[in-house]
Amino acid sequence: MKKAEIEFTVNGKKRTLFVKTNELLINVLRNDLNLTGTKYACGIGECGACTVLLEGRPVLSCLTLAVDVNGKNITTIEGISKDGFDPVQKSFLKNAAVQCGFCTPGMILMAKSLLKENPNPTEDEIRDYLRGNICRCTGYTQIIKAVKECANNHNQDK
Amino acid sequence: MENKQFIAISKRFDIKNVGKVTGKEIYASDVNIPGMMHAVVLRSPYPHAEIKSIDLTEAEKTGAICISRDDVPDLIYNERIVSIPDKTYKDRTVLPKDKVRHTGEAVAAVAADTEETAFKALEKIKVEYKKLPAVFDIDEAMKPDTSQLYSYVYLGDKKIDIENNIACVRNISVSDIDKGFEEADVIVEETFNVQRIYHMQLETKSTVCVPEADGGITIWTTTQGIHNVRILLGEIFNIPLHKINVKRITLGGSFGSSIQMNSITPICVALALKAKSPVKLVMPREDDIYDHASYPLRTKIKIGAKKDGTLTAGHCKVWVEIGAHNIQAYPYLGCIAGWFASLYKWINIKYEGKAVYTNKTPTCARRGYGSPQINFPVENAMDILAEKLGMDPIELRLKNYVGKGDEFWGQGPTIKSIIRSCGVEEMLVEGSKLIGWDKRIPPSEKTGDIRRGIGVARGFHTSGTGGPNPGEVIDYSGATVKINEDGSVDVVTALMDHGGGTWDVAAKVAAEVLKVPFDKVGIYNGVDTRTTVFDVNTHATRGVYCGCGAVKLAAEKVKKILLNYAATLFKDLPENLELVCNEELGQAVVYPKGLPEKYKTVGEIAKTAQIKSWGTIAYTSSLRQKNCPPCFITYFTEVEVNTKTGQIKIPRVIMMGDSGTIMNPELWKGQIIGAFSQGIGLGYIEEIPYDTNTGKLKCNGFITDFKVLTTTEMPKIDDIKVLPAHTYEPTGPFGAKGIGEAALSAVASSFGNAVYNAVGIRFYDLPITPEKMLKALKEKEEKKDKKE
Ligand code: FES
Ligand code: FES
Repeated sequence: MKKAEIEFTVNGKKRTLFVKTNELLINVLRNDLNLTGTKYACGIGECGACTVLLEGRPVLSCLTLAVDVNGKNITTIEGISKDGFDPVQKSFLKNAAVQCGFCTPGMILMAKSLLKENPNPTEDEIRDYLRGNICRCTGYTQIIKAVKECANNHNQDK
Repeated sequence: MENKQFIAISKRFDIKNVGKVTGKEIYASDVNIPGMMHAVVLRSPYPHAEIKSIDLTEAEKTGAICISRDDVPDLIYNERIVSIPDKTYKDRTVLPKDKVRHTGEAVAAVAADTEETAFKALEKIKVEYKKLPAVFDIDEAMKPDTSQLYSYVYLGDKKIDIENNIACVRNISVSDIDKGFEEADVIVEETFNVQRIYHMQLETKSTVCVPEADGGITIWTTTQGIHNVRILLGEIFNIPLHKINVKRITLGGSFGSSIQMNSITPICVALALKAKSPVKLVMPREDDIYDHASYPLRTKIKIGAKKDGTLTAGHCKVWVEIGAHNIQAYPYLGCIAGWFASLYKWINIKYEGKAVYTNKTPTCARRGYGSPQINFPVENAMDILAEKLGMDPIELRLKNYVGKGDEFWGQGPTIKSIIRSCGVEEMLVEGSKLIGWDKRIPPSEKTGDIRRGIGVARGFHTSGTGGPNPGEVIDYSGATVKINEDGSVDVVTALMDHGGGTWDVAAKVAAEVLKVPFDKVGIYNGVDTRTTVFDVNTHATRGVYCGCGAVKLAAEKVKKILLNYAATLFKDLPENLELVCNEELGQAVVYPKGLPEKYKTVGEIAKTAQIKSWGTIAYTSSLRQKNCPPCFITYFTEVEVNTKTGQIKIPRVIMMGDSGTIMNPELWKGQIIGAFSQGIGLGYIEEIPYDTNTGKLKCNGFITDFKVLTTTEMPKIDDIKVLPAHTYEPTGPFGAKGIGEAALSAVASSFGNAVYNAVGIRFYDLPITPEKMLKALKEKEEKKDKKE
């Protein structure tokens, strides 16, 4: 398989890598860059565990070719707060929105993206936005609550 | 819930495991070792076939390391070793030696530098099969002329014959069942089916194995019990235990799926030993679905009661279709008997259980270990009985439940104890007020396309498997507690945290005993079988009651050592000293009673002990709990049935839980709500049917066609109420019992009863899918038309 050179920014850092042209972004992140916060749980776009932000928009890294992110900006869960915790992370910890934690990176990135698009989402809007992310542990309620609380705080901040 | 006298317990804290929100938490599938190889597994395309030959030559030419039946030990074992050896059935080897018994069974495995090259090598393995007739159904399987999966297996060291695919049998009788039914005025007799489902834990099973220079191995794996993995690997590969080290590592969900050693773990070890290189094996989801499923259950239940609602008899005949391996069907049958016998006072009991092999994916424990499966028949039958008696379903339950002071054998007939704390009545009474039970009307009075109904169901689980006398299940835990030189505390235990916050509770317990602030207690990964003492497994809802019981014991011993050292410093007696938490200092302090201003911090004492070479303030405990108190649950579920589409929504639910002292209020709620979501999945949509022509799953291994609930199906935040019963378990650490598995036991039952209340149709087979609902509604209409 041919390899191609790609240059992209991950969590603010410029990276240059040689990747196979059929290589998936999830594998490059997890295996080449050791960014294992991005999780594999289905590989077919059904669970959302592998969500990352591409130019600030959520994508499923298990369905994204690494060569397609050439020249682009990627944010993974490791990159959302420089120091300490981001408000969404804090809210997840406070509201027990985390059990086993395997869906959490994807959920938090989706929540971040939602709050950027819509700083004050209703409960239904949150549910709708997160519906592609499977969580087998929490029953979602505390995740939704955590996001809702951020939404309100977010507004107060402004 | 907040209790003033505690400093940590029952208080709301942020989750300790912060790596889970930053992406830094390491799961088995995240372990990357320099130079490691990647493994993939060749799986059987047939449900039942003789393996005529396996040819690895071409595959090996690619440079890959390959293993098949000749490369793995001959030892026949059971991957689950919590039953005492005499009660452990064994029927498997690391890779099958003579035949495959289910589609997706591992046949060979390959390790190479990349996953891609490993897959390429895998394609070059040639396996010649001779197809055998396969069975997928218990009735078929038990016929004498049907194809047999096994001619013999081992029970302990004894070779036993298998006939008619019956893996094991368990019959239990209490008093006189015939007399019981003679005394009954009303009898209910029905058959129910609870389906097999896939656990769908989010992390697929994974193992990394590093062969060490001394011939030993280091393992990171998805497991609920590191010590059992170590002991089994020692037996299988004949490696002394001190040379095997299994790391405790965060688990991306299990729900019972990793209760036994994962089937891929010894495969990964065999590859690593042959390759003399670290090997990583992460199961693709499609493989994982073919690796394990939950036990299904068919129940023929017959119950009898007097006119006033007093129960007189309960008879259950159950069949469990276990798939291709007997992982733990024998204790499972025992527990089903226990869940049944300990729900209501049947007085006269007869129980007949059979476990039957089929050519399907092997089944294993799933949250509740059979309790949801038997709860559905029992709680439906109780509602049917109430209707026949003209009695309120809650009244019938209140009259007959097994409660405080009663004998209880939740974990099966060999583990009996007395119930000392019980919130059943409080939950039934308070819950019924909250849901508005008195306004509930019968289905016959409902009209329109959209019909609502309310259903109740209750259940329980044991907290651990301990009893006054040790039973058939090994049950003890251990922990090391250590005060560091700055007054902070380390808790070291093999206990796993499934996500329910067991580690946070362990830290709270240590904090509480030693009066150290919660944030000064560490309970971190990086411990392993070498640095921890034995803990049987984090199963049976035993994390808090048993595992944290051991932490409490260790912390109490540490407190003694601490006070002895402090006594030397104060030139006083330990019993004259007081240990309290000083929140301002963020430390525990000790002072002579009545002289708080003379305090010394625990940090100072520990530091002095170090400087003066007195030694470390530490203790390692090993604790067998002599009870397994029931944690009770009650659900009041409201459903909304769309009679045009067959779809069912859940507008509202009241969840009541009895865990004694609630250690971790937010995660406790999370456990219950999470279980509710799983239980509605079981009741409404989840199933993994087979195509019996091909022996493959209809979903073909893809979760595209195995649906679990998403964010949109749960009731809204304000329409979910989770409330605790106000109880205190005298035998538990700080009054606590468990919750995790109890929470699932009655969900689907309350759903089924609610559906009945909405549309007047009783469903006997789960799940109640929209298709089934529409069919049943149509049949009901047709019947009505005929009558008219
Ligand atoms: S792993 Fe990408 S969606 Fe599931
Ligand atoms: S917390 Fe375990 S899957 Fe969401």
